[in-house]
Amino acid sequence: MPLRFSRFDHEILITGEAGDFYFLSIEDFDKLLSEKSDASSQIYKDLKSLNFIADDDLMTAVNMTSTRYRSKKAFLTNFTTLHMMVVTVRCNHKCKYCQVSCEDENAKQYDMSPEIAKKVVDLAFKSPSKHIKIEFQGGEPLLNWIAVQAATERANKLQKKTGKELEIVICTNLTLMNEEKLNFIKENNILISTSLDGPQNIHDKFRVMRDGSSSYSKFLDKLSTTRTHLGHDRVGALMTTTPLTLKNIRPIIDDYIKLEFDGIFLRSLNPYGFASELKNELQYSMDEFVEMYKNALEYIITLNKNGTRFVEYYTTLLLKKILTPFSTSFVDLQSPSGAGISGVIYDYNGNIYPADEARMLSRMGDDFFLMGNVDETYSEVFGGKVLKNIVVNSCLEIMPVCGDCVYLPYCGADPIRNYLETKDIIGDRPSSPFCKKHKLIFKYLFEKIKQNEKETMDIFWSWITNRNCSKNAQN
Amino acid sequence: MGKTNIIIRDNEFLKIIVSKQYYEREAVFAAAKKFTDQSTIIIRPTPDEKQVEIVFQTEKENDVVMENIAKSFCNELLDQQTRLDLEKRFWKIRNLIVQHAFLPIENLTEETLSCK
Repeated sequence: MPLRFSRFDHEILITGEAGDFYFLSIEDFDKLLSEKSDASSQIYKDLKSLNFIADDDLMTAVNMTSTRYRSKKAFLTNFTTLHMMVVTVRCNHKCKYCQVSCEDENAKQYDMSPEIAKKVVDLAFKSPSKHIKIEFQGGEPLLNWIAVQAATERANKLQKKTGKELEIVICTNLTLMNEEKLNFIKENNILISTSLDGPQNIHDKFRVMRDGSSSYSKFLDKLSTTRTHLGHDRVGALMTTTPLTLKNIRPIIDDYIKLEFDGIFLRSLNPYGFASELKNELQYSMDEFVEMYKNALEYIITLNKNGTRFVEYYTTLLLKKILTPFSTSFVDLQSPSGAGISGVIYDYNGNIYPADEARMLSRMGDDFFLMGNVDETYSEVFGGKVLKNIVVNSCLEIMPVCGDCVYLPYCGADPIRNYLETKDIIGDRPSSPFCKKHKLIFKYLFEKIKQNEKETMDIFWSWITNRNCSKNAQN
Repeated sequence: MGKTNIIIRDNEFLKIIVSKQYYEREAVFAAAKKFTDQSTIIIRPTPDEKQVEIVFQTEKENDVVMENIAKSFCNELLDQQTRLDLEKRFWKIRNLIVQHAFLPIENLTEETLSCK
């Protein structure tokens, strides 16, 4: 059966078309290739059960692998689930790493009108996907509350009419939250996604208010009010990694635990917007990021072993891809790329892009990824040449270097980042930080899987299945 | 004729000569592609056209060690040729897996089911 392979320390890692994997000695790998494996050996039986060997049962092996492959690609049937709306570019923060080049609080010309907001929702509900997720972004979306309200009301109306599942999220720094808004959010079952970079000295270093004052204490105050009003589990947080994070990841994790967040998402900073203008202050290598990631994960695993349930969400996504046959809804690691077909973003003026980085690129003067505008029809936007170009050129199987990579079944393409780095949406893998990061992280996770240490694997599975396996867990 | 030759000069220049008898064009290109971030690479046939020489050039101040590149490239070339051989053996099955995954079974024809 077809397989991909890579040298893995002194062994060979093989992966199948649908993501099954196995470690072999070089000798056993040679036997497999030359069809000389001992049919009575355990290795042979393992390889057969994982459909690396088909014997005389070829069609059974093909059917089983196809079924798993179909499950892995299930995200394709959810075209397009995530609809992100930039309801304003105005922001009351001036974060140094901001990707979106936010505008002054008074620059209302950068607000999405309620009419455009309704058109966005109308277009979103034309998606074939049975599940529609609307995410309000900014700037700070609470600055254009009227658009948030208009879109939410329209979405609820269309949800009742179409019967589609609806999920709404507001990505907010929380500082403008008040009782009126909280009431509306609660009534409409809206989730909150906020930003927390760590303890005050770290959070305030890059996340500052537009007047230069600290944002941390305001954030804490509003976090408490919001949780009290909506419920603890209705508020999640995201961290942005800066050079300061690299040296302080353990205190940051401690702060997340102190503030009773269930986990953390370790993500690297994208080199767009203000961030690229402040390269010296913000830049770090992928080697440095992955070192921090490993350090953080070791710490988190130890915390879990000692009875504190705490999840690393990025690891959870990757492990779900490696250890289960299921698809994830994570747009950034899909083949073909999830940009446009899994997630799409609508700018304040109704322009539509396959990802936030593409919108950012447009603000920098390059409309290469502009898919269209809400005034156009669904088929013009989603059947247009921009999205076709992305899909055709972001299937890992046909991309140089990716096509034979052992980690292909778990990885994805980032055509927008490729274009930003090389002016070519296929990109150049040997110099790609995205490729380097994922190869290093996959290698590290496969080392963990190969070690197969029971407590660690139990923790990983508890993250994948969203159950508690810590010593303090109640039955 | 079949022997692989490796020539390194001043850690700036590396030439690896391999036999076309053992390694195909696709394998040489795929292996070389992975080193393009470390050096400039030229691929050309030897004058008798029976072998291929892969030339790696880098700047003096670069911290790349040519001997390490030579070792890694030889293994990578071997791996790429093995991948190519595997692909020749299994590409029809790979295509069949994808076809089965995206088509209802009743739509598969005799032709698509035949992978021999």
